[in-house]
Amino acid sequence: MKVIIILDQIQAGLGGKEHADTPLGGKKMPMGSADNVEKALKNYQGEIIGTFYCGTDYYQANRDLVQRKFAKMAEKMEADVVILGPAYDYPDFSQMACEIADYIQSQTKIPALVACAKEKNEELIEKYHDNLVIVKMPPKGGTGLSDSIEHVALGCDTVVQNHDVADFKAKYCY
Amino acid sequence: MQKKIEKVLMPMAVKLGNNVVLRSLRDGFMIVMPLIMVTSFFLLLGNFPVKGWNPFWEGIFGKNWDMWFSAVYNSVFSFTGLLSCLGIAYCYAKNRDLEPIHIAAVALVAFLILTPTSFNVGKTTVSAVKTEFVGANGVFLGILIAIFSVEIYRFAVKRHWTIKMPDGVPPAVTQSFDALLPSALVIIVFFLVRIIFSVTSFQTAYNFIYTILQAPLKHVGNSLPSVLLYNFLASLLWCIGINGPTITNSVWSPIFFVLTQDNLSAWNHHQPLPHIYTQPFIDMFTTYGGGGSTLSLLIVMFVVCKSKRIRELAKLAIMPGIFGINEPLIFGLPVVLNPIIAIPFILTPTINTLISGLAFSWHLLPFTNGIQLTWTTPPIISGWLTTGSWKGPVLQIFEIILGIFIYYPFIKMLDRQYLAEEAKAHADDLDIDFSEV
Repeated sequence: MKVIIILDQIQAGLGGKEHADTPLGGKKMPMGSADNVEKALKNYQGEIIGTFYCGTDYYQANRDLVQRKFAKMAEKMEADVVILGPAYDYPDFSQMACEIADYIQSQTKIPALVACAKEKNEELIEKYHDNLVIVKMPPKGGTGLSDSIEHVALGCDTVVQNHDVADFKAKYCY
Repeated sequence: MQKKIEKVLMPMAVKLGNNVVLRSLRDGFMIVMPLIMVTSFFLLLGNFPVKGWNPFWEGIFGKNWDMWFSAVYNSVFSFTGLLSCLGIAYCYAKNRDLEPIHIAAVALVAFLILTPTSFNVGKTTVSAVKTEFVGANGVFLGILIAIFSVEIYRFAVKRHWTIKMPDGVPPAVTQSFDALLPSALVIIVFFLVRIIFSVTSFQTAYNFIYTILQAPLKHVGNSLPSVLLYNFLASLLWCIGINGPTITNSVWSPIFFVLTQDNLSAWNHHQPLPHIYTQPFIDMFTTYGGGGSTLSLLIVMFVVCKSKRIRELAKLAIMPGIFGINEPLIFGLPVVLNPIIAIPFILTPTINTLISGLAFSWHLLPFTNGIQLTWTTPPIISGWLTTGSWKGPVLQIFEIILGIFIYYPFIKMLDRQYLAEEAKAHADDLDIDFSEV
């Protein structure tokens, strides 16, 4: 299972909120938080073939460009699935994650999963939870992080193997 | 191993994190904390730890110049018990979906009902409230009054013991009538409590709570094992992704709060400082650069590590790190769920706690004075301001350097792993070129 993960500048290890203007980029390896996700993916013979990153302010200013480039590159790299997050309760990153996931799902054949917390993201989850697979995760520093990362890995396997997504969503998603 | 730790700690963390009373306690203190920080600044100005400071200003403004400052800090420091009661009642009521402002006010009244309002000066009886009852010594009484006030109020609301107003009456009027009977019940209960205590040997609820609860808890909390456990748990929880201090503070914050206030009061009155394990001790002498004392880690990353990934992160994270912000490191290195970094991340603050605890108990430097600086105050400055001595920064520098040695072998292990990945990256050109799409 070939997985691409999309992160903001904090989760990719490219600085804090003050570096939200980080332009889009990527490496063909796990970066920052992706390390933890890759460990969980190994249980399902999954590997991260690329980490795409983008600062949240840069995304806001270049929404169309980032969505298009990330979707095209995921297709070019022949990803089986795209993960957006962990976004915790960061509202800017959660919004970026949902919008890019929505774009990828509508413009490509690649399924996309989002992982974010409901805190600070209620409206966003309300808007996207029918169309997207949004895995429940705790807010920053909340309990249940490793469980939620394991659920993300299980979710990737579920969508790639065409197993029952409805059942997965009922158990682990919003 | 990580799974086993999670299995043991997670239920405890969930229970403590979700406990509405503990959460309200923590949030209630947060209402008082900014007031303490702001007025601490006035106390600091009135007693700045520089030789000749006071005589210099006395020469300009006269002998009582510091009274201007004491008026400000006494407005908070002498009433911390009362203010804690107000803040906790407000937060607890809010968490119980009740009208918080009404309950905060009625809890305040309940506190005053239980407070002695007269005392003898020689043969004369004076009608006044001694600040010893409403200050730091009254914090635990304030906590209990806040919680019981909310519970009594809630008891009445749940049974619909309220006066219903007809439709069309303005909401503010309706709310005040809604509060009438529940508030009356709270006041009657505390009226009876006052009578009951007055016929016992304790005389007042204050004496009872202080003797039975506050003094013993202070004694237990004011010990090296207690603080070692606090910092060990806080760091351990961070490693499994949980904001450790949020959980541990639920239990320890009332104790640290009282111990800090005692020191502050003693410092203000130029008396010997009584306690070692205050909030400034925890904030300024156990962790540097945030949880896990990651300033030491950042220095190793910045100076010694060779992998591009770690060096880049160090460059971006060192400035926020100096001011105690380590979010980029916690999620970007990452620290969370990272078994290699978990060991020094837990070890460093625990060893710092041990060394600082011993250094203070051996009187190698003055105890912390109780001044509450913001958590973003960088080390060295914070060490000097909280102890008033050059020895504070020396201890901080020593512990930061020690942390460097503790983190070194572990981050080098990660560095070697990343270097190998980068070497492979160099060979395979692992940069993704988005201009191709």
